[in-house]
Amino acid sequence: MASLTPETSLRLRRTPLLVFVFSYTLLTGGPFLWVATMSLRTTAEILANPYAPPTTLHWEKFYEAWVNSNYGTYFRNSAVTVVSAVIIITIIGAMAAHGLARYRFRGARAVRFAILSGMVLPPQLIILSLFQILLGYGLYNSLLGLTLVYVAAHLGMTVYILEGFFAQIPQDLFDAARMDSYGDLEIFWRITLPIGLPAIFTAITLNFIILWNEFLFAVVFLTDDEKRTLPLGIMHFMGSHQLDIGMVATGLMIAIAPILILYAVFSETMIRGMTAGAVR
Amino acid sequence: MTNCRARVLTVALVLGIGAALAPTARAEDVTLQVWSHEADEPAKVAFREMAARAVEKAHPGVHVKITWYEKNPMYAALKTALPAGQGPDVFYLEPDQTDYITSGYLLPLDDLVKWDNIYDWARAVWIHDGKTWGVPQEAYTNEIYYNKDELKKLGVMLPANAQFGEADFLALIKKVRAEGITPVSQGVGDRPYPGAYIVGESLLHKLGLEDYGKLLKGQLSYKDPRVIAVLTWVKELVDAGAYPKNFMTLKLGESHYYFYQKPGALMFPVGSWFTGRAFVPVDKGGMPENFPLGLMLFPAIDNAACNECKTLGVGASFVVNAATKHKDIAAEFLNAMSTPEMGKRWIETIYLQTAIKTGDVQFTGPYAAYFTELLERQKGEKYFIGMPVDNLEGRCKDAFAQVMNAGFPGGLLTVDKAAAMMDEACLKKN
Amino acid sequence: MSEASPRAEESAAPSGLRVPSFGASVADARRAPPSVILALVGPALFMYLAFTLYPVLRTFWNSVHTIKPHGVEEWVGLKNFAELLTQDPVFWIAVENTVIFTIVATVFDVLGGLLLALCLFVKVPLARFLRVVWFTPVLMSYVVVGVIWVWIFDFDWGTLNTLLRWLGLESLTQSWLGDPRWALWAVMTAHIWKWLGFNMIIFLAALYALPAEVLGAAELDNCGWLAKLVYIIIPMLRPTIVNLLVLSFIGKMMVFDLIWIMTGGGPLWSTETVSTYVYKRAFDWNTFDLGYPSAIAVVWCVIILLFVVLMNRLLRQRDRLEF
Repeated sequence: MASLTPETSLRLRRTPLLVFVFSYTLLTGGPFLWVATMSLRTTAEILANPYAPPTTLHWEKFYEAWVNSNYGTYFRNSAVTVVSAVIIITIIGAMAAHGLARYRFRGARAVRFAILSGMVLPPQLIILSLFQILLGYGLYNSLLGLTLVYVAAHLGMTVYILEGFFAQIPQDLFDAARMDSYGDLEIFWRITLPIGLPAIFTAITLNFIILWNEFLFAVVFLTDDEKRTLPLGIMHFMGSHQLDIGMVATGLMIAIAPILILYAVFSETMIRGMTAGAVR
Repeated sequence: MTNCRARVLTVALVLGIGAALAPTARAEDVTLQVWSHEADEPAKVAFREMAARAVEKAHPGVHVKITWYEKNPMYAALKTALPAGQGPDVFYLEPDQTDYITSGYLLPLDDLVKWDNIYDWARAVWIHDGKTWGVPQEAYTNEIYYNKDELKKLGVMLPANAQFGEADFLALIKKVRAEGITPVSQGVGDRPYPGAYIVGESLLHKLGLEDYGKLLKGQLSYKDPRVIAVLTWVKELVDAGAYPKNFMTLKLGESHYYFYQKPGALMFPVGSWFTGRAFVPVDKGGMPENFPLGLMLFPAIDNAACNECKTLGVGASFVVNAATKHKDIAAEFLNAMSTPEMGKRWIETIYLQTAIKTGDVQFTGPYAAYFTELLERQKGEKYFIGMPVDNLEGRCKDAFAQVMNAGFPGGLLTVDKAAAMMDEACLKKN
Repeated sequence: MSEASPRAEESAAPSGLRVPSFGASVADARRAPPSVILALVGPALFMYLAFTLYPVLRTFWNSVHTIKPHGVEEWVGLKNFAELLTQDPVFWIAVENTVIFTIVATVFDVLGGLLLALCLFVKVPLARFLRVVWFTPVLMSYVVVGVIWVWIFDFDWGTLNTLLRWLGLESLTQSWLGDPRWALWAVMTAHIWKWLGFNMIIFLAALYALPAEVLGAAELDNCGWLAKLVYIIIPMLRPTIVNLLVLSFIGKMMVFDLIWIMTGGGPLWSTETVSTYVYKRAFDWNTFDLGYPSAIAVVWCVIILLFVVLMNRLLRQRDRLEF
């Protein structure tokens, strides 16, 4: 083989790479596009030809899902529960992380172990007894109960991420603050939080994504249709009788939409935040 | 910001969010909570809501609230709610869910419900320990629906008694396959029983009512030569390509569509609640209007004890929560659903058999021919009450769903392996 | 831990050690009145005690009882555990499936994430656009992912079989989710598809945080890209790799939602995992007894904890992976 110039050899090496990149993009973006097109077609159209683009755009399906199938309610329930849970987790998680990262006190190791061990527990371990307990607290079949369960379930991971980051903040800053007689909570407020913002953003993002899509706890702890969250709502169309593929696709799009919009707008900040907090 | 203020603020924030989320109290007279399955069958929804409104009209101040579920989420919700003392007053249940009775969550209904409106054989399904625990609504028999035109095209004649013999049935399967058509539409993607229709009814024919019951209850071994003979024959059907290639994942609703729309099959063994899905507009997944629907009996087995035996199942029923505070209103609701008028309405709008006595109903309307043929097929039949799943529990039920319903008809297991697995899970060891 | 965030100031202290810079105020800055500690850590601790520890203890309690009719709880000691470990073949099938799923999926996930990150790192065209697209599956719920992949794997009109038929490979078409040989791998594919983007993003950031001098020096030494990868990049990424391995491992051990939606544990128990089995025993079997499923959950939790401790011991390198 004749000797290759540096340019051609570079290009040659790149081709398999480009092929791979292209295929993988198809693999990740493709299914989503497919669902998007299906959400605008009726089930009959889909069954006739699953891969054709929509001929008429049935926007009314979205309306039908939102109003007739109660998607509006499910969306609201999801929004209320998840936003509240994320706010609470972030606040008390950041406080706990700061406490564990900054201060030495008796029992610190035990507390750290306790809170982080929550990460490792499989949900099945506690789901069976959680409903008994929720009932004891009078919180069964309520959004408040579900919110509290969400908070408890994700506290471990949040503290894990935040503590790791907060611990990296140089001690000098805090010593200097002490010298300037800042109160402890002021230190938290003015130093840890602003500097720790990328990691906090990471935690918020991760928690929001995971909780928005959470399914198991919601299915067991919510019984009223009025209280159902979105993931449960999607299952509504996968009824025992007809598999209404078109409406399922519409439902999927409604569920994905908020996250996608958030992501499209904030992707840069989100990714920067996520990586800053999680990279060790 | 001082420590103290920060703390107060945090507490206030949490409380504020809590208040926003807490359920608002409502002042109402009496609300009867009802949980029901079949949210996606509009005719049944209308039927039950009609009964609800009747109760509300007769009792001012009473509000009947029906929450609609899919079956499995409803059972899961009941399993957590009832032990917590939180369940609804009335809920949908099927006769195979006997653990609700043994766990004491149901109210005996002998004195609360007007039983003269309900068929005795249907009521019998719900009798345990001498008490009746549920009101049956829906009854069905297992049938094989088939495409009359397709059969004619193949040049095969249905025998006079609408029942093929073993050899003829196998030959039919092979013939249909040779034409490139799927002989039998069936799918076990989302149900634990459809795959067992052919093998179950065949076992019933061969063993007769009593021994079939023993087999299901674990008192007869699956290695009994009669059982093996039936399993061997069914294996021949499976190997001849009786079922669709995606049998394992095809869902129940899809199997309907497979039979009467695309790609089309010759036969469709299913309970006679088939009509509940078939007799709806085509764009809702129903059968095309001029579909040549026929009914045949499950094949006759050689040396059988009872070829005229058939499974009759009781399906949708309603029960009352033992912890209810509205016993009488609950009974009112059940009675409201069980009047002869409602029975007639059930048949006319839902196109299913019912456990409610309707007297002599003259079938009119577009489906008169169907119901006439259905009654024809019931002539002279002896019934085994209850689908296999209604008679099994625990590990045996799970094994049945995986082996007899899915693995064996799916062609994944040999006869001996299937029999061994079933015995291991079901046979009662003395 | 050594790859600190770009925002934190350069600290003279090596990672993990907090060297006091101001001798006199160390005690000050690191200690606080108990009320402050309580205020900071209290709420989180309370949530843990009330909604995590208490339920766990309750589950342990359940596991040594059987719930009989009318809600009566009967002490059975270790009977549930004995039955579970000796007489329950389904449990062991579930364990085997879960272990296979976890190990294979974790390896592919982490390696795949690294591979994708490297692709973006060498600046393929449209890297920024790709970074967004490749991350999308992570954002979707398991319900969405499950439904999409069930449609992809559908025998008649699913994408995979349609593609095979289009390529003339009809003989390779299978009922992917209906065949015990393929079902577990099919579900695994869907799961990996969902999470690759997450690992990719983490790795990408780690790559960007690598000190440029080292990479530059490697360039000068004329190292081939493979050598560079194996001898320099991977060792420097070791903490990140370990972190992701642990997170991925834990997540996959507990997988439930995806399997439940795609196969429900079938066919023939080929996708039955410990979590689906617990759910089935508790909610699907005709019984109100929560004792047995609780026993399963307890055993499983112990196994997971053991694995985590084991991984910690094996892979830890004075990193801050405190559990």
